[in-house]
Amino acid sequence: MRGQVRRGGQQAATWLFIAPVHALLLGVIVIPACYVVWLSLTASTFGRAPVFVGIANYLQVLGDSYFWRALGNTIIVVLIVVHVELLAGLGMALLFASGLPCRRFLLLAVLAPYAVSEVSAVVMWRYLFDPDIGPITTTLQALGLPTLDWTFSPTDGLLMVALLSVWLNLPFTFIVLYAARLAIPGDLYEAALVDGTTPLQSFRHVTLPLLAPAILMAMLFRYIIAFRLFSEVWLLTAGGPARSTEVVAVYLYNEAFRYNAFGPAATTGWLMVSVSLLLATGYIWGLRREMANAH
Amino acid sequence: MRIERLAIGAGKAVAIAAMLLWSLLPIGFIALSSVKPARDIFAVPPRIAFTPTLQHYTDLWLHWGSFFVGLCNSLIITAGATVLAVTASMLAGYAYSRHRSRAMSRSATFLVAVRLIPPIVITLPLFPIVNWLRLNDTHVILIILYATFFVSLGTLLMRGFIDQIPRELDEAACVDGAGPLVILWRIIVPLATQGMLAVAVFVIVFAWNEFLFAFIFISTRAKTAPLVISEMIGSFDGVDWGVLFAASTVQLLPVLIFVLCMQRYLVSGLTAGAVKG
Amino acid sequence: MTTGLTRRRALGASLATAGVLGGIGRARAASHTLNVLCHRVHQLCLTTGVAGDLTAAWRQQQDADIAWSTFDIDPLQDRLLREASLNQTDFGVGYLVNSRATANVAALLQPLDAYQAKAPVEAFDDIAAGLVAAMTIGGKLVAVPVRTATMALFYNEALLEQRGIKAPPETLEELVEQAKQLTFRTEQGTPVVGMVVAAELAAFPVNFARAFGGDFITPDLKLIPNREAMEKALTVMADLFKSGALPRSYATTSNDDQVTWMQQGRAAFTTLPFARYAQLNRQDQSKFPGRIKAIEFPMSAALKGKMPMASVVEFWAMCIPAHARDKELAWSFIQAMSSQAVTLGAARNGNGPVRLSTFADPGFAAAQPTASIEAKALKGAHVPLPAFPEAARAQAIFVEEVQLTVLGRKDVDAAIASIVERVKPLLPA
Repeated sequence: MRGQVRRGGQQAATWLFIAPVHALLLGVIVIPACYVVWLSLTASTFGRAPVFVGIANYLQVLGDSYFWRALGNTIIVVLIVVHVELLAGLGMALLFASGLPCRRFLLLAVLAPYAVSEVSAVVMWRYLFDPDIGPITTTLQALGLPTLDWTFSPTDGLLMVALLSVWLNLPFTFIVLYAARLAIPGDLYEAALVDGTTPLQSFRHVTLPLLAPAILMAMLFRYIIAFRLFSEVWLLTAGGPARSTEVVAVYLYNEAFRYNAFGPAATTGWLMVSVSLLLATGYIWGLRREMANAH
Repeated sequence: MRIERLAIGAGKAVAIAAMLLWSLLPIGFIALSSVKPARDIFAVPPRIAFTPTLQHYTDLWLHWGSFFVGLCNSLIITAGATVLAVTASMLAGYAYSRHRSRAMSRSATFLVAVRLIPPIVITLPLFPIVNWLRLNDTHVILIILYATFFVSLGTLLMRGFIDQIPRELDEAACVDGAGPLVILWRIIVPLATQGMLAVAVFVIVFAWNEFLFAFIFISTRAKTAPLVISEMIGSFDGVDWGVLFAASTVQLLPVLIFVLCMQRYLVSGLTAGAVKG
Repeated sequence: MTTGLTRRRALGASLATAGVLGGIGRARAASHTLNVLCHRVHQLCLTTGVAGDLTAAWRQQQDADIAWSTFDIDPLQDRLLREASLNQTDFGVGYLVNSRATANVAALLQPLDAYQAKAPVEAFDDIAAGLVAAMTIGGKLVAVPVRTATMALFYNEALLEQRGIKAPPETLEELVEQAKQLTFRTEQGTPVVGMVVAAELAAFPVNFARAFGGDFITPDLKLIPNREAMEKALTVMADLFKSGALPRSYATTSNDDQVTWMQQGRAAFTTLPFARYAQLNRQDQSKFPGRIKAIEFPMSAALKGKMPMASVVEFWAMCIPAHARDKELAWSFIQAMSSQAVTLGAARNGNGPVRLSTFADPGFAAAQPTASIEAKALKGAHVPLPAFPEAARAQAIFVEEVQLTVLGRKDVDAAIASIVERVKPLLPA
């Protein structure tokens, strides 16, 4: 009897403990997002009340070739960014774990870009890579290497966006992977050494499997966040030349804040959510299973 | 053997050099430009030798008083958001760590799923709601928004961290008749400080630099530092680049110093949290 | 014991934070404040410069503070309209740009005729009639014009001299010729381009089209009234790019880049509002202080002397949101800031004046080397495209097609056909 009461109390405490987090998420994200669903089914602008138009906005956005181009650009950049970050972050994590001189200083240096705001970062990069006078461009030219023609060529423009995005976010990916690498007990490696495995084998059979959860977690958060890519593009190329480097968030921003077409903007928002949901579904499913089986 | 070790050393040196160049070159450029005379900043070919000047910093102090008010606002908002996010994540992380059930794992999925909604999408409907609550242009609204966008990651990290704390400790306390809140406060919080600091670092860096929400919900009273910096990039009265770089440097410094002080906790906090993913 | 201590300290710190928060909330709750939504340059023209703070008298008389909220152009308009859509807003006065003055927007603003009848703006007829007409929607005055930005052609005299060019161009053809000559590398190794223009605004290609007697959308909503003129304009721009006289980064060039490039001697010509004269020649920023001069954008040789150049002008007006809290205070501010004396003072602080009397003021004309040229240009000037609900989208389409043509990715005919096809449905029936 007493046990039951206690269990009931614990249950209540559990729900009470997770309540603040869920209240914040519901109030700030979920309820407004539901209103966005309604907006996506209406036509409205400043000085015009919403009028129900059914799925007209969805047909309009999905029939717009610029939306598809923006989506394509976003996916290209996201794929580059997430995988480059993962490889570089993993490499750096292993490098740091192998022992480095002045580790504290190096760690700070590597983490520094994370502390830079996007606005400042874009100002720096624009200057360094200026096609005529940028120090990096001129150095590359002097060495006879190809330069990034990002103000002219759409491909190079997207590449520049991806580079900048990697620069800003690599510290996040790195620190998550580095921390996970440090969590692997050293005796596992000693055991591997005793068994006579090569470093490559111990990486494949010890490091990689144990890092897998951290890698998945880093990838999920980076996929989700990279998909919203906005400031880098907006401040660097504003989607130009001739809308060729536009990404989905820029498309949405233009509809909402430039043309004040709230219906198509809300629709784009929901399409964005759906696509990133598709990208992340697999992962979340895995996460749920892991949580349920953990104990 | 010796040659091999030398080769490894050289490889490491190259890798370190590349990392340093990659991370610090752009930042160094900003800091350097902030002490260059205005007409030399964009000089072609670039000027390596110049007379350093603190002119931009004095100008910043004299003409952009609002920037320093912005720093104070950013400080208040960052502190508030951090306290809120860490507290909420701590509570939820504890609950998720100690109690597993189908309902709980569903609600954990929800935590992550909600984060799929991009902030830019909810700004449209949020504006009238915030206005209706009379929270427009207040510190409180940014504190709530910033905390919300980090409780998902925070909860997952805290759960991983608290998983490391032996359950026997809470069970022993439970036998002694302690309630969940007392256990949390007396046992978990002191042992999870590192994890809390790790979560705090993420929130602080985000809240200190955030632009979009501040831009939409703040007009005068709670203007943050990034907002003032963006004002410096006006589009028809021209940019005073020197002052802009000085402001960027000033805005960057506190976070850098903070990350320097916290890096030990950040790494060890995340390490403990990472074992379970 | 130690943990208990730190815990208590942490609690104290969070309480202190809460206290600070509360304190700030209370300290800022002033009773008599006018909230103004504008661009930083609007604020600066009224508060700093050789004419000093022009709001001081009004503040004293009304016993009011002014809280300025400044944003960049697009965000500023967005914020103004969002505030104006609310049931109540703290903002008393907002700055509206000409291209946004549509019927939909007018519905969100307070009609000002009653205020003007009761407490009129001094010598209202002195304000350029075309500007007032654009802010009169459905027969109601919704905003009072306060700032014009008329496009000038700026040139760097020193660079022209270096290439042995004696005088700035008198026709568009000469401009093209000189721009090509001025694409070179200086002795110091600075690469110079003939001309730098921002690619994001319609104003720049419209300048070229008007030099050939054409336009993008006329005030009476005719789309590309003179196709041949537009063809010539785009051909000239594409040719400039091809020869390197427009920079390779043309498509991502912004207004700020234009200023920096001119100040650093990286470009010989640019088109910017006359009001930029002071900044381009600033001692501490410019490598050519006093050497950057302004003229009216030249007509093409065939039309020179036959018709005046229709310079591009953008302008700003002050409005009051329909649901503003204190409209009386807002109007008294507009009334005071539109007086002849304040308009003159603001012009001396760097504002583009809206009153004809300001240009006639001898002191002003003497202090501003560009005043007489600007007055002449303003006479024939009109906006780059008229205001209508889908104007922003129409401008974006135009800019996109122009960029494609200039970069050589689309030929002129195809681009113009595409502009017509895509913009036509956006025009009001």
